[in-house]
Amino acid sequence: MPETEALLSRFGAANTQVLGISIDSVFCHANWAASLGGVSFPLLSDFHPKGAVAASYGLYLEKAGITDRATVIIDAGGTVRHISSVTPAGGRDIAELAALCEKVDQEYSGPKEAVPSPATFPRGSTLYVKSSCGHSLKAMNALANFHLGGAIILKNVTDDPAAKAELVKLGGKDQAPCLVVDGKPLYEADDIVKAMTDSVAYLK
Amino acid sequence: MIAEGTKAPGFTLKDHLGREISLDSLTGKHHVMLLFYPLDFTPT
Repeated sequence: MPETEALLSRFGAANTQVLGISIDSVFCHANWAASLGGVSFPLLSDFHPKGAVAASYGLYLEKAGITDRATVIIDAGGTVRHISSVTPAGGRDIAELAALCEKVDQEYSGPKEAVPSPATFPRGSTLYVKSSCGHSLKAMNALANFHLGGAIILKNVTDDPAAKAELVKLGGKDQAPCLVVDGKPLYEADDIVKAMTDSVAYLK
Repeated sequence: MIAEGTKAPGFTLKDHLGREISLDSLTGKHHVMLLFYPLDFTPT
């Protein structure tokens, strides 16, 4: 997924929305996304009934209980324009897929719109918290309730001296909770919760 | 796998942020690239 993330602006310019999809749960996706420092396109959970969407594309591997590693390009008219598998152990050529999407976009004569920039927190957004701090807990609860674990990195400055040093460098003080978006710190728990709420409202 | 040139099967699924996303809400506006993959924590 990091390879795709790196070329996302190219897909966006080709009016193409990228979606990842596997049989993993929403919670597993959120953890993986967090471990990658955020993923700015949706990772869909084809979890229940397991692999049903993959099966409808003929891409569910029944015996293994997993989805094939395969790519489908659908034009804005809803027609499948490309479908290919690299097998589960294989690797995709993302640059080649970007070129295919550009070709589909050039050939498509129907109405189409640019893909809006990802409606989530920008990559690298970080919530700094302290242990045994009610305000930090409030911000962490909001992070969990809005399922933003895949979009915002969580760092505890009480346990992690490197994180504390980062926080001080950013805003000149070690006050936490602090939500840092695009390098700009936001300190008050209520303001942090509002920023998260607004982002979720914007998503819907 | 299904053939190129056929209509893409529709779906509505939740994403990693808990958002419900349906194919129908995207096509009509954009092209869509679906990256099917076996499991999280695996490469490209």
